[in-house]
Amino acid sequence: MLPALTYLLLLVPIAAAAAVSLAPSRTAKWIATFGSLTAFVVSLAFAWSFPGWTDGSMHPAEAGVAIMPSLGISLTLGTDSVGLMLILLTTFLMPLAMIGSFTAVTEREKEYYGWFMLLEAAMVGVFLAKDAIMFYTAYEFTLVPMFFLIAIFGGKDRRPASIKFFLYTFLGSVLTLSGIIYIAANYANAHGGQWTFDLATLANHCSTAMDRTTQYWVFILLMAGFAVKVPLFPVHTWLPLAHDQAPTAGSVILAGTLLKLGTYGVYRIALPTAPVGGVELDQFFAILCVIAIVNTALICWVQKDAKKLIAYSSVSHLGFCMLGLFALNPVGATGSVMYMINHGLSTGALFLCIGMIYERYHTKDMEQLGGLFKKMPVWSFFMVLFTFASLGLPGLNGFVGEFLCLMGCFIAEPGAANHPGLLGPWWALIAGSGLILAAMYLLIMLGKLVWGPLREPHVDGHGGSHAGSDGGSHAGSQVSSHDGSRGGSHASSHASSRGSSRGSSRGSSRGSSPDASHGGTLGSVHAHADAHDTHGSALPRDLSAREIGILVPLAVVCLAIGFYPKPMLEAITPSAEKVLAGYPALVTEYAANGSLLPVSAAGASEVAMAQDVGSSDARATQTNELGQTR
Amino acid sequence: MSLTASLSSILAPLPATLADAASATIKPAVASPDLSWAGLILLLPAISAVLCGLCAARGVKGKLPGVITALSLLGAFALTLMLYMRCPTDAPRTIHLFDWVSFAWGSGAAEGAKWTSFLAPFSLYVDSLTLLWMLFVTGLGSLIAIYATEYMESDVGKGYARFFGAVSIFLFAMGSLVMGGNLILLYLGWEGVGLASYLLIGYYYSKPSAVAAAKKAFIVNRIGDLGLALGIFLIWVNYGTVEYDALFQAVTASTDSLNDGSEWTKAAIPYCLMLGAFGKSAQFPLYVWLPDAMEGPTPVSALIHAATMVTAGIYLIARTYPLFQLDPGALTVVATIGCITALLAATIGMAQYDIKRVMAYSTVSQLGYMFLGLGVGTTFGAVYHVFTHAFFKALLFLCCGAIMHGMAGQLDLRKMSGLRNVKGFGIISWTFLIGCLCLAGFPFTAGFFSKDSIIAQAFGSGNDRFVLLGWIAVFTAFLTAYYTFRVWFRVCGGPTKYEPGDELHGHGGDDHGHGHGHGHGADDGHGHGGEWHPHGPRLAINGVLLLICLGAILAAVPAYLGGPHQENNWVMKMVSHSSAVGGIPAHDHGASHGADAHAHHALSFTGIADVHTATSVVASVAGILGIAIAAFFHLFNRKAADGLRQTLLSNSLTRWLPIAMENKWYVDEIYHATLRVPARALGHIFEFFDKSVIDGVFVDGGARIPAGLARVFQPLYNGVLQGYAWTMAFGVALIAAWVFWLWLQGGAA
Repeated sequence: MLPALTYLLLLVPIAAAAAVSLAPSRTAKWIATFGSLTAFVVSLAFAWSFPGWTDGSMHPAEAGVAIMPSLGISLTLGTDSVGLMLILLTTFLMPLAMIGSFTAVTEREKEYYGWFMLLEAAMVGVFLAKDAIMFYTAYEFTLVPMFFLIAIFGGKDRRPASIKFFLYTFLGSVLTLSGIIYIAANYANAHGGQWTFDLATLANHCSTAMDRTTQYWVFILLMAGFAVKVPLFPVHTWLPLAHDQAPTAGSVILAGTLLKLGTYGVYRIALPTAPVGGVELDQFFAILCVIAIVNTALICWVQKDAKKLIAYSSVSHLGFCMLGLFALNPVGATGSVMYMINHGLSTGALFLCIGMIYERYHTKDMEQLGGLFKKMPVWSFFMVLFTFASLGLPGLNGFVGEFLCLMGCFIAEPGAANHPGLLGPWWALIAGSGLILAAMYLLIMLGKLVWGPLREPHVDGHGGSHAGSDGGSHAGSQVSSHDGSRGGSHASSHASSRGSSRGSSRGSSRGSSPDASHGGTLGSVHAHADAHDTHGSALPRDLSAREIGILVPLAVVCLAIGFYPKPMLEAITPSAEKVLAGYPALVTEYAANGSLLPVSAAGASEVAMAQDVGSSDARATQTNELGQTR
Repeated sequence: MSLTASLSSILAPLPATLADAASATIKPAVASPDLSWAGLILLLPAISAVLCGLCAARGVKGKLPGVITALSLLGAFALTLMLYMRCPTDAPRTIHLFDWVSFAWGSGAAEGAKWTSFLAPFSLYVDSLTLLWMLFVTGLGSLIAIYATEYMESDVGKGYARFFGAVSIFLFAMGSLVMGGNLILLYLGWEGVGLASYLLIGYYYSKPSAVAAAKKAFIVNRIGDLGLALGIFLIWVNYGTVEYDALFQAVTASTDSLNDGSEWTKAAIPYCLMLGAFGKSAQFPLYVWLPDAMEGPTPVSALIHAATMVTAGIYLIARTYPLFQLDPGALTVVATIGCITALLAATIGMAQYDIKRVMAYSTVSQLGYMFLGLGVGTTFGAVYHVFTHAFFKALLFLCCGAIMHGMAGQLDLRKMSGLRNVKGFGIISWTFLIGCLCLAGFPFTAGFFSKDSIIAQAFGSGNDRFVLLGWIAVFTAFLTAYYTFRVWFRVCGGPTKYEPGDELHGHGGDDHGHGHGHGHGADDGHGHGGEWHPHGPRLAINGVLLLICLGAILAAVPAYLGGPHQENNWVMKMVSHSSAVGGIPAHDHGASHGADAHAHHALSFTGIADVHTATSVVASVAGILGIAIAAFFHLFNRKAADGLRQTLLSNSLTRWLPIAMENKWYVDEIYHATLRVPARALGHIFEFFDKSVIDGVFVDGGARIPAGLARVFQPLYNGVLQGYAWTMAFGVALIAAWVFWLWLQGGAA
């Protein structure tokens, strides 16, 4: 039963992709919706029958189909509770992203929905992989659909964005692959030429049988790919660009699930495989996380584009997530996995919200858009809800992960009783400033987009020559304020409606009287509505039933996790403990000696820094190995 | 001296009997599943919030959301009363509702079994402190909700449901904060009330100032929240639990562990917690959000920003008082900050013209008193002041709101006068007067008793620093009386004269009349006298004013019934059965000294032996003096006030004083220049660095390396046959050299 469900999980999206490519174009969106919903149902069935919720074990345990027995490569599917939750996240977000695209994408639908289905298969494949080659294949394959989705359906800078996205993450992953192959080769050497790519076996081999210096380097190789994907601080610059240019559903999936491939890779592969590296570089990566949190939060503060702001906020948020992992204790790791899921939900939802605005106004510029509560109260409700989920309001989903990540970091002191770590209160204090900064930039976004006097970009509704999804053409400088008080000069096309608006507001008192402006707004709203109708989006002023239908499940899940995270916490913790099993002893040793790497006799006296010891020592070891091989 | 005699009978030092009660440790809680219906106190507002949301979604026209909210809050109040009567006070009760953020790891290794789980269930911790707080939170909450059904009626069908939805969220969050059985649940309530506050301050969302104020409130509070979060982490690190019951047992079991100097983490706990308290309760340096919060509708100012939410900080410290007792230094900081805030806010309040702002600064100032009380060691005084303040300050705000409601949004005290004689404003004026008397600490009002119990403790503590703080507090009491009656004499006293406001200040733009049928047109917004008439409130507002006024008067009753030593004061009894028991004054000297307990207290020069009596006299004098000066400048001789201001302004030595006070000591501007501007500049710098250096130089630059290399090697592939031959030869030579090198190495080995 269980193995069949895992295959089905992979096959359903692939079949849907095939069906999309064969069926007529107008059915594509329905096939994709149906396919992704089916995948969701399958994943629910898988979760329902999953036996490993409480002990962190991998299921199904059966060996898979051997593909290349000589190299030990097999199609082995299985996952534990954490992977399963991420699968559920993927299959949950995908139908929402698909339904959310109905009006946004009206051309080349077959490609669009087909690529998304393949993307879903690849992402599920990553979380299901027990074999390193299978993992890597799926991991890399996610790039291809995303590349096309950005390059074809993206904004006006889509081509550089897609190329940068592809090359950057590809470059990182190649290093990860080399790390995997190195371990496998090392394993084969040690086991008389018998190869395997089974992740658990390799992890076990690397963490127990390989010498510490090698582990250290393996960890760096593995992290190279994952850090780019997460993305960690200095290698994050592809993300804002990709998000900015990606279509809405692409951003949802990118933030919701694709980034989690990186964190999941660290969790599932890098940390358990090379614990020496994990400990040795713990503080290094934690510093990167803290920099990401603070630096990126400040960058968010000065963004003018709402989507870019949320994209940057992902970098900041994932800094928290990684910091939780590098706390190296169950609290932090549990919080980190919670964060992965909750960030996917709330940020995905925020991208959907911004996408809905973009479809209506063809801009995400917060200088041009504002005060939308007046026109779109329903949208505003969801926007406020998800924003507060994103800034970690207790009672909503974001809080649990964020709080536990910070707490994990806080308690990760070398002297801590059961799970010593290498961070501590000061780290948490600095990272915690991210809580304040997140409130700042997110509330500034709300203050501009949702609250305040209504500001809308002037849509040239009479020209009728709209450049579809290209936002640039509307980025005119005319910002109209529909408050009676600001009846300055207006575009001629709106002269009549403005005139009446001014007339009605003159009677009432001065100042920004919403009542007066309400009357005034209605006139011009119709003008805008007409303008929108002319270029075919035909969206209502506020959210349509379809759009509400997308956001409601997300809202419900956000609230449910916020108030009852216990099942998730209890499912994650055993898995986290397994991942971190090797760490306490190593951390204690590191804390006592300042390094885990063997100190070469020559270099020890002069090299004080742990990092330097590592590298010089590594060179020494490599020379030795060369000698032995020869 | 009959005054002194009667005073001394009321306010005498505490007897030894209370000292016994005070020295008693906090009893372990009793799990009481039979009381789980108390969860309904939280559930009712939550349901009401959902229903209000549905009303908003369905576009319900009418007062239904207000009725739902008022009823559910009344229900919560009734349940709280029931809990008060049913819940035994011998020991705290815990009521487990459901598991929330609870999980465990490890196999519970022997040595560290304590730190292998994190348990934060959704459970309630009910002791008398909880009950006291919940009684006035739900009681005032329901009264103010009733008031708001009338006050907000101009928004029916527009923001009405949103308003009451947010009020319901607030009551749910405040309930979680107060009743929650652990610090994580407190944190939920803590941030939840922040959310409600954000939504309500920004209620008139089309006003940029309201949006900015809402944002500011949440962000400044977040600074405190971070402190609270760090404090929670520290508590877990030190005591292995975040549940009150287990925590208090752990603390009382090891009160001496602070002696271990290396454990700075334990010493830091109260400082982190107090940062949280200072944020939520608007203390220096985090008070700046509260005055701006007056952008919200006035019922909200009364409920959230005067009576309930802002007292959460006092609740936090009272609740975790055992942790503060471990560190007298921390309590001194609390007292000092409280005193500084009280004085600072009072000086600002003196110079404001917007009556709601005056009340806002007064709230900040009074909260300062409460922290002073906590700091000098009288949780009773602090909590009693919270209690009395909740009534009289809510009353004052509701009076301001009613004036504003009737005066077309007018809040400037220079533009209103003699409202007591205006038809329909009688109830407002006289209830306003009662509130002012309480706030000014006029003898035998509720505020008088509660404030004096704080100041007396400062004087009687025998600590020089506290005595100084006590004198500052007396001076502040003088200022308080002055600015309070400045408002009342200006607005309600004097000749009747008024001009309406711009209608927009508080009403988000309903441009005429609130549907009262006065029939004044839009132009009346700027008219004078003639056609425009201020309209007095109707039943809901007047009734609530009278009820809360009654509450403000009756809040003094516990002090009257308190017996000679306040030991029968209801609030005293409530506090002494709670986790704040450690801060019951007199437990340190009541037992050892007799009647002459304070023979050498700081006020001995008055010739009054008892410090409480002496304080009452001194504070009464200060208060009455303040009222008298206010009467002179603002009732009898208003020209003198302007003259004084002009005199100060014309003298180059003193002109800074009125300017600085009117501009709130420029604290906002200082924060703007020292925090916001540099941080924003950093943001721009980081963005530039991100785009140009990291992405531009390293990433894009790095991406050019392959192309650059290609250009280097391009000549090798020039398509000329000789060229390829050369290349091949070069390659072969290279390989040969390498093999030769290997051979050399091998030979050497």
